[in-house]
Amino acid sequence: MANASTPVQAERLAQARGRYARPSFAVPILLLVALALGPVLMPSFRMMDMVAKVMIYAVAVASFDIILGYTGIISFAHGMFFGLGAYCLALICHHSGAPQYYHLPLAAALAVAISALIAVVIAVFSLRVKAIFFAMMTLAVAEFAHILGYQWSSLTLGEDGVSFRLPGILAANWSGGSLLGVQVSGRLMAYYLILIGAALLFVGLVRFVRSPAGRVLKAIRENERRALALGFRVFHYRILATVFGSVVSSLAGVMFAMWLSYVNPDTVLGTPLMLNILLMVIIGGLGTVYGGIVGAAFITVTETWLPDLLKAGVGMLPKAAMLVRLADRWVLFFGLAYVLVVLFFPKGVMGSVREAAERRRLAREKQS
Amino acid sequence: MFPTAATAERGQAGESARRNQVFWFCAAVVWLMPLMVVDLTTYLVLSVAGLAMGMLLFLTASGLTVIFGLMDVLNLAHGAFFAWGAYAGFSVLGLLDGRGLVENAGMGQSVLDVLLALLAALAMGGLLGWVLERLIVRRVYGDHLKQILITMGASMVLAELIRVVWGPNQEAIPVPMTFQGSYDVLDVVVNKFRVVAIVAGCAVYAGIMAVMMKTKLGIIIRAGVENREVVQTLGYNINRIFTGVFMAGAALAAMGGSMWGMFREQITPAMGDENLIFALIVVIIGGMGSVTGSFLGACMVGLAFNYVAFLMPKLALGVNILIMAVILLIRPFGLLGREL
Repeated sequence: MANASTPVQAERLAQARGRYARPSFAVPILLLVALALGPVLMPSFRMMDMVAKVMIYAVAVASFDIILGYTGIISFAHGMFFGLGAYCLALICHHSGAPQYYHLPLAAALAVAISALIAVVIAVFSLRVKAIFFAMMTLAVAEFAHILGYQWSSLTLGEDGVSFRLPGILAANWSGGSLLGVQVSGRLMAYYLILIGAALLFVGLVRFVRSPAGRVLKAIRENERRALALGFRVFHYRILATVFGSVVSSLAGVMFAMWLSYVNPDTVLGTPLMLNILLMVIIGGLGTVYGGIVGAAFITVTETWLPDLLKAGVGMLPKAAMLVRLADRWVLFFGLAYVLVVLFFPKGVMGSVREAAERRRLAREKQS
Repeated sequence: MFPTAATAERGQAGESARRNQVFWFCAAVVWLMPLMVVDLTTYLVLSVAGLAMGMLLFLTASGLTVIFGLMDVLNLAHGAFFAWGAYAGFSVLGLLDGRGLVENAGMGQSVLDVLLALLAALAMGGLLGWVLERLIVRRVYGDHLKQILITMGASMVLAELIRVVWGPNQEAIPVPMTFQGSYDVLDVVVNKFRVVAIVAGCAVYAGIMAVMMKTKLGIIIRAGVENREVVQTLGYNINRIFTGVFMAGAALAAMGGSMWGMFREQITPAMGDENLIFALIVVIIGGMGSVTGSFLGACMVGLAFNYVAFLMPKLALGVNILIMAVILLIRPFGLLGREL
């Protein structure tokens, strides 16, 4: 270690050398390969639909983690930014009549611009006072957006939502024949586009938290006064983090609209989406980024199968009106699970995994 | 961070007093501004409606603000208390209605009906508040992040439980005839229940202020808002006071909910969320921890909402968010808030 003059530098060099041998490098690569091969190996639409949603949610949740887990600020508008992105694509494609390829980047650019602007305004107003004001303000703004989604029907088409067609090879009715026994359809193309988009955004998120700015955010979360005393502009860094997270969320929203070809106020702007994101980030583990994938996968899979499972369970029991109603209300179980997780499992899956790995590493170091 | 000793309620001197005067003058001008677009009768009708709405909001916001000031807990489940109160009142009135004691009851019976419904709501709110404080909130004292997350979850669970117990649909509340309809004062149509709401709201405000200013409990609570540790070292069991304040706040919110339900004559399981949003805006405007502040804030929000809802219905909530933003800009800690 000739060129390492300080212990910190030495440690970073050691980390950089072992980078490709650790599971934190291999697991994401394997996951990426599995996602790419998934539709070829298991050509089932329900499966593909679920995986695509998991990828989109994973990006949204990981970006929420930047705000909540890394910066320690609660935003209830994350679902709103997601919906904003979704509406950007939907409205451009719908109102233009004939969708073109350039509408996709246009929608993405518009989503980035609008969500960055709104996020900056909210952040400047509320973070100036105290971080919890951000939670309250975003709650109100998100509700307002939901109401606008319903009532501004000349633009958003109100309650009915917007259904639209995608351009060219992404369109639902496009078919490119069959390749290696797999039907090459518009959906498949959209799936791969989402895979690429989600992977790029995810890499961006991971790079962000490992950047110097990400380190400063962690410092602020751990001890705001000390970070301030060290000369970091806490206010600016917090704005940066919330804006960055919100923008990525809106891009996830664009992908979501692309996948469904349909948006309505309740699915992309309502509170259930926000609660889902909260649940996913908590279960995945705060401040881990990769926890977003775990949380999104867990919740999406449960959401797909739980209602059926509950109904089947109740069907076996003797008829009881209360029980049937209880089974209809699976949000209740989500809510209970969420409260219990916050209380008793606050580190989440990834947090616990990391902790266990850390403990093992320490034990090994002590032995040698 | 220790709270500074001087509360804004004690008034400030010199330059800031002059700034206060300017501020209140501006507020009065803004209050009268709708007169430029609507005629006087409409303006008065809207003002009464706004004040009534403000009073009902105050019932929720007062609990929220005291809980925050004293316990440093941001309770996002407060809206759920509101909805549960409304449903408790609905159950009582429904039960009485089944015996023919509501629709065409006499004056005395009607008042009794409403009082019973309000009592049921208060009891329900108190009970829920007790359970929630003991079971959940107590575990997350001092951790804002967890408080917000967990009370949000609790609010979701409580709203879902309403759907399980009473069904997911909108329900109509039976209201005694005596309280339906409206008075007509010089062409100004005043809904009877609005009068009840305004009277009740003012009474609750007076009651809270009396307790806070004149009783020993009030002194302890105010001292706790200033500095919790010192109150503890003086030998008071702060945990019991926390539970009591939480229950009282929840009970007030529940009472507000049942009045809201009787006023609207219909209730939905989602009514709590909407109310919570307004209550949060009120608390931010008024200043977190200040009861008088949330009283003023509630009046502002109620009035602004009604004026704007009359002129531009879509923007009614938007204008409240705007007011909140402007207040945060000129007085970052709310009208009567102090530095946190």
